[in-house]
Amino acid sequence: MVLPRYAWRRLYEQRLVILLTVVSFIWPLICGGFIYLTNHVELLQGLDKDFLEFIQVNGRFFSIFMYVQAGFAVFLTALAGPSLVAPDLSNNALPLYFSRPLTRWSYALARLTVIIGMLSVVTWVPGLLLFALQVGLAGGWWFIANWTLGAAVVVGFLLWLLVLGLVAMASSAYVKWRVVAGAVSLAFFFILSGVSEMINQIFRVAWGHVLDPAWSVNRVWCTLLGVDPPDGPGAGASLLSLVMFVLLLVMVIERKLRPVEVVR
Amino acid sequence: MRLDNTPVVELDDLKVKLGRREILHGITCRLGVSGTGKAIGLLGPNGAGKSTLILTLLGFLRPSAGRARILGMDCRRNMGEARSRIGYMPENDSFVGEMTAVTFLRQMAELSGLPPEAALEKAHEVLFHVGLGESRYRELRTYSYGMKQMAKLAQAIVHGPELVVLDEPTNGLDPAARRRMLKLVTDMKVEQGMNVLVCSHLLRDIEQVCDEAVILKDGVIVHHCNLEEERRSNRSFVELEVTGDDRNLRTVLPEIGAEGVSEGAGRWRIVLPAGVEVEAIWGLAARQNLLVRKLTHRRDTLEEIFLKAMGHLAHTPGESAAIDVRST
Repeated sequence: MVLPRYAWRRLYEQRLVILLTVVSFIWPLICGGFIYLTNHVELLQGLDKDFLEFIQVNGRFFSIFMYVQAGFAVFLTALAGPSLVAPDLSNNALPLYFSRPLTRWSYALARLTVIIGMLSVVTWVPGLLLFALQVGLAGGWWFIANWTLGAAVVVGFLLWLLVLGLVAMASSAYVKWRVVAGAVSLAFFFILSGVSEMINQIFRVAWGHVLDPAWSVNRVWCTLLGVDPPDGPGAGASLLSLVMFVLLLVMVIERKLRPVEVVR
Repeated sequence: MRLDNTPVVELDDLKVKLGRREILHGITCRLGVSGTGKAIGLLGPNGAGKSTLILTLLGFLRPSAGRARILGMDCRRNMGEARSRIGYMPENDSFVGEMTAVTFLRQMAELSGLPPEAALEKAHEVLFHVGLGESRYRELRTYSYGMKQMAKLAQAIVHGPELVVLDEPTNGLDPAARRRMLKLVTDMKVEQGMNVLVCSHLLRDIEQVCDEAVILKDGVIVHHCNLEEERRSNRSFVELEVTGDDRNLRTVLPEIGAEGVSEGAGRWRIVLPAGVEVEAIWGLAARQNLLVRKLTHRRDTLEEIFLKAMGHLAHTPGESAAIDVRST
């Protein structure tokens, strides 16, 4: 736990990280207010009946919450993620770490734990709190009928955080420069999204979406939350594409996180 | 202090490949004894395989054949245990620039297994020891090159390792900083009983701090010498230059148990027996009415040994004379 402890401290020494983390709580607070309102019908008297049916805490509500928070998580990853790995590589500190009783995998896992921990604060933790708030206000019957939503929020977000964490680490390990690594992390999602859309348009297909990790994870969330999925490949194919992304990123990290680089 | 005759480094037909190219071609040797507080020098020209050997010993590179042991532990299988007993100072800049020196050292000490409080205490202590006490709360990126070298040394010794591996420790240092670094290395072995493995191309540094030296060339060991013994043997060889009639000198030298050979023009090479100091030659020369122009111990320097090992010298200067002396 030595590495995560020091990394955690380094992380929150950055003001921008604290600022973005605070900003990331705005949407969960709004959602919290929404849950409060939906559970206090006396406050909503006089509103249109159709609208009252529309504003319900269900899978769609949590999918919107997750979609927005996932966006914050991407920016937070690009801002803070590379600061955990890139400085070690740019300053050639890895030989110092690995000359101690620390393996490459435990180093990578420690860094990944911190990134996922930092992102958890703004993703599944507030998601679970919202779920708990709804259970508290709506009662036990709501929990019995919708417990899968809570599990979906945690599992869905953890899947996304794993991808984000690995993207941040792989980009940091590859470019070794914090600012550029942050830009590469962002570009990774935007470029792949563009490429997948391009493939879909040029070949008039829908499978191009599997090249877009953001779309794939959203597709998996839709299945987990039981909401209408977007047109395109199914949840299984999307999950498979995410697994492929994860393996690819792990491969990059494995190749780059070495105490010495052998130049061929 | 452990004295169990475990070699610091034990290589058994060690071969290491980088890509398809074999860098170390089956090295076999035993260097140092664990817990004796001695320094081993690793010498060799660029590309000889010094760094490859160090990286293999640290478990960063895998041997393609053979075996490497450090402090009695296999570099392939038991590195986790070995690493907590080793300190490593790399050649290049290695630090986390955004960290203060004390935080960096504390983290490194904790990673080596020290409890947080002890690690903090040791971090302060070691930073003062290497002369960075006043600047220990500064970020490492603000340090000068010499300070960074000292910080690298500090992180290598902060957890009190049994063995410290130093890769070119005096590289880029000014003469004063170099002297300080070498003194620290000497203190480490003499006062703290640490074994030190120094990799350097600076022969004077190795000669100054090491007790044993290994010379590598093209991935093989071309020479392994005990510098302590070399120094001791050097003390018995004397070069003398006199003015006057020195014809009787050879006959009077046995009076003090010495033997000598004349090289002509008043120049002599003399072998002193054990326990006889060079002052005895002064007395002898005075009795023979000889004016001493030069009287020095022969210095079979590491440079000469190195050049000989590299094939640039046919033999060490003075070596033939020593043989001549023995034969007379």
